[in-house]
Amino acid sequence: MEKSELQFAAASESHYGRCNPNSILGGTFSILALGFLFYVIPAFIEIPAYMQHPLLSPRFLPQLAGWLVLALSLLLMIDGLIKPPKRSETDEFRRGVPIMRQVLMVAAGIVYVLFFEELGAIGSGVLASVLLFLASGLRTIWVYALAIIFPAVVTLLFIYVLNVPLPPGTLWESLSLI
Amino acid sequence: MLKFVKSRVRNKFLYALTAVSLSCGGLVQADEWPEDNIRLVVPYSAGGTTDLLSRKVADLLQKELTTVVVENRPGAGSTVATGQLARGGRGSDHMLLMASPGHTIGASLYPNLRYDPVADFAFVRNVINIPNVMVVPGDSPYNTVAEFVEAARKQEMSFSSPGIGSSVHMSGELFKNLTQTQLVHVPFRGSGEALPALLSGDVDVAFENMPTVYPHIQSGKLKALAVTTPSASEFLPDVPTMQDAGKGYGLETYETSAWFGLIAHKSFPEEGMVKLQAALDKVMAGEEFTKFLPQFGAEAGTVVGDDFRQFVQGEVQKWSDVAEKANLKR
Amino acid sequence: MENFSEVLALFLSVDNFLAIAAGVLVGVVVGAIPGLTATMAVALALPFTFSMEPVTAILLLVGIYKGGMYGGSITAILIRTPGSPASACTLLDGYPMAQQGKAKKALKTALYSSVVADMISNVALIFFASYLAKIALNFGPPEYFWLICFSLTIIVSVSGSSVVKGLIAAGLGIIVSTIGLDAVYGTQRLTFDNYNLMDRVSFIPLLIGLFAIPEVIEFYTSKVAPHIRTAVSGASLTWKEFKGLLKTIVRGSVIGVIIGAIPGTGATSAAFISYSEAKRTSPRKANFGKGEVEGVAAAESGNNGVAGATLIPLLSLGIPGDVITAIILGAFMIHGLTPGPVLFQENLTLVYALFCGIMVSSFVLVFVGNAAIRYFSLIADIPKTILLPIVLMFCIYGAYAVNNSTFDIGLMLAFGVLGFVFNRTGIAAAPFLIGFILGPMFEDNLRRTMLISKGDLSIFFRGPITWVFILLTVASLIFAIRRYWVARKEDALA
Repeated sequence: MEKSELQFAAASESHYGRCNPNSILGGTFSILALGFLFYVIPAFIEIPAYMQHPLLSPRFLPQLAGWLVLALSLLLMIDGLIKPPKRSETDEFRRGVPIMRQVLMVAAGIVYVLFFEELGAIGSGVLASVLLFLASGLRTIWVYALAIIFPAVVTLLFIYVLNVPLPPGTLWESLSLI
Repeated sequence: MLKFVKSRVRNKFLYALTAVSLSCGGLVQADEWPEDNIRLVVPYSAGGTTDLLSRKVADLLQKELTTVVVENRPGAGSTVATGQLARGGRGSDHMLLMASPGHTIGASLYPNLRYDPVADFAFVRNVINIPNVMVVPGDSPYNTVAEFVEAARKQEMSFSSPGIGSSVHMSGELFKNLTQTQLVHVPFRGSGEALPALLSGDVDVAFENMPTVYPHIQSGKLKALAVTTPSASEFLPDVPTMQDAGKGYGLETYETSAWFGLIAHKSFPEEGMVKLQAALDKVMAGEEFTKFLPQFGAEAGTVVGDDFRQFVQGEVQKWSDVAEKANLKR
Repeated sequence: MENFSEVLALFLSVDNFLAIAAGVLVGVVVGAIPGLTATMAVALALPFTFSMEPVTAILLLVGIYKGGMYGGSITAILIRTPGSPASACTLLDGYPMAQQGKAKKALKTALYSSVVADMISNVALIFFASYLAKIALNFGPPEYFWLICFSLTIIVSVSGSSVVKGLIAAGLGIIVSTIGLDAVYGTQRLTFDNYNLMDRVSFIPLLIGLFAIPEVIEFYTSKVAPHIRTAVSGASLTWKEFKGLLKTIVRGSVIGVIIGAIPGTGATSAAFISYSEAKRTSPRKANFGKGEVEGVAAAESGNNGVAGATLIPLLSLGIPGDVITAIILGAFMIHGLTPGPVLFQENLTLVYALFCGIMVSSFVLVFVGNAAIRYFSLIADIPKTILLPIVLMFCIYGAYAVNNSTFDIGLMLAFGVLGFVFNRTGIAAAPFLIGFILGPMFEDNLRRTMLISKGDLSIFFRGPITWVFILLTVASLIFAIRRYWVARKEDALA
């Protein structure tokens, strides 16, 4: 007993404290699992009017998976509290990243999700690529030419060779540009 | 730079306005209907039966009219693509959709559809019908529909289908309703998974599409008890129709088939409709089409225009009742 | 032996060879593009085959299928973007190898494992088709149920550093897989009245989101790292190494053949089972998931072993085992042919001509694959600052193309964020994927069994096949638990 405590004390410098990622993760997941089991399942999975056997219930598998996640998250949390995991060096690499870089990435994602139909495959592809190039601080002009050529060529390839109808862009259509 | 772009856009916008005002005058004399490629939407994934049939029809149709581009838009049965067609909008005067039983069954199965499966569409014509066949495993003790129904009234039996809401599934539910038997539905994902269970006798019966089971009927691994169409099929001339074989068991009105037909947005131009129907008549009389049908155990569609609309109306009603009794109605 | 000359007459035509070459090439290229799968390529090529001779048409489609199976691994290894679902397993070790500058070795291993597995699969198709088809017919719902249970135990071996976290991920994957209309009752499950969720969550956006997108997010949330050249500069696969891998490859192929011959199980499961088996028996267990060449060989042989074998139930029974074979079935029917026992009686020459072509396609894969490695590995020379935006664009287009739906783009990016969170918290993404694939199969077959037996539970133990898989499941579980304790003890001592 004493020995293990000593070991623990010696090792604790390279370990996280009580507030370590595993306990937080386990805690978060157990709360989510509880919410899923006791709110989401009753509210969003109907029970059919007639059912031959309880094993056939539409709620059976989601419940099974939900309890599994709950039990394992608790295990993970307790495990994390008793035996905190070691710190990894890669964390250092993730500090001090310019905020602009991340904002531009999110902006590119938003362009794709919200304006894909409006701007069309080419338009959104060009805009998002330019945003991402800016995020990496690229200064060469020919690189930005790539951001225009690639989406255009790939879109035309999809549409005419592979017969996949990517959207041309409702914005341009309403402006009668195409 | 930005200013330049802005002015370019404004210029284009002005051009566009002029173009619109010019074309308004042109609207009256739009007598050349295929002004553009026809888009044929297939509401299922590429490679399925509906897709195959549509591509063949498109291929033949474009020899008569103009280029026909096939687009696959799968999702939520066939209801996603159908809903898009119902909304109309740009290009809907050149857009067709290959409707199938999913069109009528989906109307009962999927909640809050934002369209009416009959009123929101124009009905071109029914192109192809594929009969369903009531089949039992080769070593099954039942040889006629009557024997089967008698047995099914005494004990619980099961029937397989390639998925809930498919025409194969609903044919079974209809059979169950009319004969007052307790058949248990065992859903699979696709005929490829459903067939082995039937061949090995894990399920007692199925109401499968003709092309899926035809080779197995020939090889004796399955027994055909009845075809579901009102007249006997030329592929299985010895097999009675369900209406004949099920006399006295409530099956006198039983009729189902996998039908495929072209529908369009309700505002589809009258002139296009006439031209399309004429072109389809030509296609369906052609040798290539009649040679193609037997490969799918299929028959040429019969109903056109308003008759087709009435047929679909009837189907919607029929499946809505069946779905209600099977607790599937949303 | 006059039949033989007939077969050759039917097979030896320029068209057939062109069809095979074009098919494999198209398959490899399309398979390598994220979001475009072999299934899509086969479906899109189908209309072009209407006017061809039957043998030519089917060889073209089979060529695309086989090429696509391999092609998916190229981008999986180079940029962590699985070109096809089955290559998600290749990525587990292939991508770390590329990061260590061993991209060439990984690509060559994948290629030669694929080719060997392909050939073994063809041999099985030609010589054991009728026997394997009989096994397939004996697989009813209860047998499938136990097969899936056994497959679920592989989660333990792909969980990475933490089994508990891996199992949590699998549970989440299962939960996501239950979204959509219920398969038995048609009731809504977790759809939140959203139309796009009624047909369940689309697979391709989930796959790309989980593996490719986190790389993009990771890159833009870290400091700019110096570009690592991962391309052709590295060492290739030596003959000696290849010989060492041969046992794994053959085992993977056999697993692939068995899984492929049973309709409806799929290449992805085969790849993961093969991977898990290789890890269990390997002396370098600990290196799996960190760039172990044996892992690449196991995954690729597993998924390519399936390719020839799925044709077994198709040709001998007329039963398509997956979507691709269903499309090929359509091609047969378009040409007035019906696969099944009747085909062997009436069109035996045609069947043998097909077999010849399928064998040839494996050899073609060697050449096309090598060429593809040479040109595709150029993408690893592009700095990430330029490459990643373009990869993202491909992923977006691919996700959209599956259902022509912008919802799927959002879905993919959401799974991308989830995958990123998984990466940061040390949760492996592969178990999530396995849970997502196997969850519905588990439930479907459980329910089918209950429906068929009318609630009688003895059906679960009805025959030798069920017992074989029960024993395999139990053995696999015991083994996993024992290994977990050993690992924990070692960890505690260290």
